[in-house]
Amino acid sequence: MSELWELSVEEVGRRVRSREVSAVEVTEAALARTAQVEPLISAYLEVFTEEARRRASGIDLRIAAGEDPGPLAGVPVALKDNLSLAGHRLTCASRILEGYVAPYTGTAVERLLAAGAVILGRTNMDEFAMGSSCENSAFQTTRNPWDLSKVPGGSSGGPAAAVAAGSVPLSFGSDTGGSIRQPAALSGVVGIKPTYGRVSRYGLVAFASSTDQIGPLTRNVRDAALALQVIAGPDPNDATCADRPVENYLARIEEGIAGLKVGVIRDIDVAGLSPASARGWREGLAFLERAGAEILEVSLPSLGAAVAVYYVVAMSEASANLARFDGVRYGRRAPADNLADLYVASRSEGFGPEVKRRIMLGTFALSSGYYEAYYGRARGVLERMRRELDAAFERADLLVTPTSPTSAFGIGERMDDPLAMYLSDIFTAPASLVGLPAFAVPTGLDDDGLPQSLQIMGRMFDEATVFRACRAVEREAAWRVAPAFRGREAG
Amino acid sequence: MALTTEDVRKIASLARLRFSPEEERVFTEQLGHIVDYIDQLQRYETGSGETEAAPASPVREAEDQARPCLPREVFLANAPASALGEFLVVPEVKGGGGDE
Repeated sequence: MSELWELSVEEVGRRVRSREVSAVEVTEAALARTAQVEPLISAYLEVFTEEARRRASGIDLRIAAGEDPGPLAGVPVALKDNLSLAGHRLTCASRILEGYVAPYTGTAVERLLAAGAVILGRTNMDEFAMGSSCENSAFQTTRNPWDLSKVPGGSSGGPAAAVAAGSVPLSFGSDTGGSIRQPAALSGVVGIKPTYGRVSRYGLVAFASSTDQIGPLTRNVRDAALALQVIAGPDPNDATCADRPVENYLARIEEGIAGLKVGVIRDIDVAGLSPASARGWREGLAFLERAGAEILEVSLPSLGAAVAVYYVVAMSEASANLARFDGVRYGRRAPADNLADLYVASRSEGFGPEVKRRIMLGTFALSSGYYEAYYGRARGVLERMRRELDAAFERADLLVTPTSPTSAFGIGERMDDPLAMYLSDIFTAPASLVGLPAFAVPTGLDDDGLPQSLQIMGRMFDEATVFRACRAVEREAAWRVAPAFRGREAG
Repeated sequence: MALTTEDVRKIASLARLRFSPEEERVFTEQLGHIVDYIDQLQRYETGSGETEAAPASPVREAEDQARPCLPREVFLANAPASALGEFLVVPEVKGGGGDE
């Protein structure tokens, strides 16, 4: 029999609601598992131990009183530390937000609470979600549960590692150019980047507003569907959140993909896949074929420009969004004699090197004399990419790529070469730029025991079909999250 | 396109950031490499004339209606310095650095 911490989101919800197990027991199991693995992986910036216990016992009381707390009853959940939960610290893993306490709860988190979830803690990330390894955190280095010498990916490295290690069955991250999908791939879990506008961003600290989305990370595809179901849908507090109903993602998730047309992007070799990832990629395609999909080739000539377009657009938006951190209204304030120096000193002390690099590049791309050549040009190529993808989706129901060009890389390996780090986003950036739903689903392990992952993209708001395809791949791959450090946990 | 230390200083001033000479040196080199990489955009075709296209889903207009907002004391609880329960406090506004 599985231990309590190994149960899926669906199973925890079912058992807690039917009183086969209490929310308190599940929470205690998650806390105990977290205490075992956390010394190895450092996924959490803070564990809300006592509050989680109180919350769980409140859920048990409600069930005892005949109430239904919702589909996530008693499910332990970890949050990326850029999602607001009222009364709790929120740092974005940055010194500039040290001491900041979220004054309100964001919509997605509010919906989790309304569905009965127990928030276990806030997890590590690259500072302000800027990075692909979680190493840009100002506070700690999170390690990959499959190989502790490797990065978990980023920027949602903490949420990915927490789920992979069995601390929680469900976590939430944010994805701007791949920040849920790439860590999901490197850590061997399922990661969901919903359609732009599917999930409210109210309460998410903004990085690049034209692409930011919140999404779940889980150990299996059905759990991800259930989790997205809970947080998706219109929100008056976010004008960019689409005013359209949410499909039932679980209704047809087991139906398979026989006869669906899956487009493989012909231009993929531009990314320079590692040999291990190339093999993982071919295996992933074989799973789709075995599931009955019809594979066809599509063309995306602008794929090679995706990273360049993404970084110009995202850094430009970031330079504007991060202007609000100036030492006046919240966060760190450096000593200064006048207001202009206060801004400069607070920002220079508070932001880490990667954030500064991106603010600088964004400021450059938007500056007088360069705007047309960089920002204008990037938007133009983006429009070209949108048309190419539209054309591909006229022929195919889904598009697939590897999620990451490499398996998890070593801690420290790419820290001196920002550009090498940026190239991690080659496959994930297009869906972000264009707004498409794109999910990462594990396909197996390479020879070094590191997870491989397939990215499946769908049409706008067609999450249901992407879930079906991910579920089909998961069945074919017979995937099970079982990191290699089992047995090495403390206590 | 190569960036000079002078360029980096100018951008830093626009971005309200300050660097040590060593940081300036590293940033000049790194930003130069990244800008070189981004320059490849000039080789790609663009969509015709839609450089300011909206993001994927249209923005809904909010109803023009007053609603409660964050209470002042909650907002000010995060302020580095405030006064009289109503005001953010900042140092002297005139003079000092920046590019004004």
